[in-house]
Amino acid sequence: MSHRVVDAVAPVVYAVIDFAAIMAPSLFIKVAADRGGMASTVGLDLVAASLAIGVPHAVIAWWRLRSEERMAVRRADIWIAAIDGLVVLALGWTLLLLAVLALFVDEHSALANRGYPVIALWAGLLLVAVALAEGVSRFVFWWLEPHAALHRRRRRHHVRRSLRHARRTTADDAVWAGLRRH
Amino acid sequence: MGLNRRQFLAAGLGAVGAVVAAGGLTRQVWPMLAREDLVPGEAPDMVLPPLAWDTTRDRVTFAALGDNGSGGRQAMAVATELARTYRAAPFGVVALLGDICYYGPIQKRFDDVFRKPLGPLIDAGVGFELAIGNHDGNLDYSQAGLEEIEAELALLGTPGRYYTTTHGPVDFFYLDSSVPSLSGVNGAGQLAWLDDVLARSTNQWRVVCMHHPPFSSGYHGSALHVRERVVPILERHRVDLVLAGHDHHYERTRPIDGVTYVVSGGGCKRTPVGRSDFTAVADSILEFLHVEVDGDRLSARCIQPDGHVADRFELRARRS
Repeated sequence: MSHRVVDAVAPVVYAVIDFAAIMAPSLFIKVAADRGGMASTVGLDLVAASLAIGVPHAVIAWWRLRSEERMAVRRADIWIAAIDGLVVLALGWTLLLLAVLALFVDEHSALANRGYPVIALWAGLLLVAVALAEGVSRFVFWWLEPHAALHRRRRRHHVRRSLRHARRTTADDAVWAGLRRH
Repeated sequence: MGLNRRQFLAAGLGAVGAVVAAGGLTRQVWPMLAREDLVPGEAPDMVLPPLAWDTTRDRVTFAALGDNGSGGRQAMAVATELARTYRAAPFGVVALLGDICYYGPIQKRFDDVFRKPLGPLIDAGVGFELAIGNHDGNLDYSQAGLEEIEAELALLGTPGRYYTTTHGPVDFFYLDSSVPSLSGVNGAGQLAWLDDVLARSTNQWRVVCMHHPPFSSGYHGSALHVRERVVPILERHRVDLVLAGHDHHYERTRPIDGVTYVVSGGGCKRTPVGRSDFTAVADSILEFLHVEVDGDRLSARCIQPDGHVADRFELRARRS
């Protein structure tokens, strides 16, 4: 398989796994509730909250990998950082959820009985885990890449993007000339 | 391709984490999330007609609920359906089959696991009778454990760890089926008491309630210490029905030496169940049991939180 194909397919596969890790706890709980004989609507709120965060985050993860593929000095750095981020997401999300649900039972039970929406607790914890995973992935990538080279590549990437944008939006020769001087 | 020191460290941590995540999450943690009832739930909000049941010398209606002590969504759903069932077919007593409090001591969690989910029934005057379970004070007979058991018994107004009650034509016998209570001096005392009260029982029906099931095809399986020490007494005294929890599923045996054994431990959690040669019906579901006794006929329904009846059975009294 050519590099080009791998570069296109791998981020998609990664995004799907990222999405699955976000969805898994809510789906396990939903399926268990359905099999136990709960009303079919029970658990949908948790699935919906996970979807609402899982879909955008899968897109962000895909976009991050595509962008890192363009600017990375070493391809290995991309995938090491990506796997670290995914592990933090999968473990962090589930363990954070478990810790809050199991260790702060009195607190969240009391809130639930005062009409506090469980969905807010769920989405809040998930957002924390997603932010943590994003942070880890970006930090590890930055930490692994040679900094000077990374800086140069980022700058080049930025200029290329500006050129593409300018090509689409302006025919002004002066602007073209200015951008080329970069 | 060689890795530098940073890459080696980051890749190594990632690989270890990936192995832990792949194995631990898929095999342990996510299934555990599905087995437990940790997501908070809202208590049923309804007002039930008080004292609506009709208990006479020949008739009584009661419910049995096991392992309901999470205070979570599933516990609330089961309790809500129990309250709805009361509205349609009122009952005056609920036999609690143990483990009424998970995730903390009963002194702290009593409102969340008992008063809130069962509030409508409590307000309607329904009585609750408890057979204590292994999670109630952990039943290890440490000082802290004993204190928690005493607190639980006091909170529910339960006379002791084992006792008997009568409702209409049914004598109920509540046992402490934990290993420490059925072995040694404790065990001898309780077993002698059971033998005695069963021998003196004059009502038409005898129903024994305990936490550990002597016959179960579930996660914990049959409690062999109960089967060995208690079952011969039950058979000798022609007990009609034995209700137990502990395993989080529903299972009814075919009559074994005349005794029908029911596991009704789906009060808030579910664990898998198989089938054994003694099994008549078994399913891993959330449920409670609703039982009507009329003369020499007992009819029971196993009801799920969505109102679906998972099992129905009838018994004829063994004593005329």
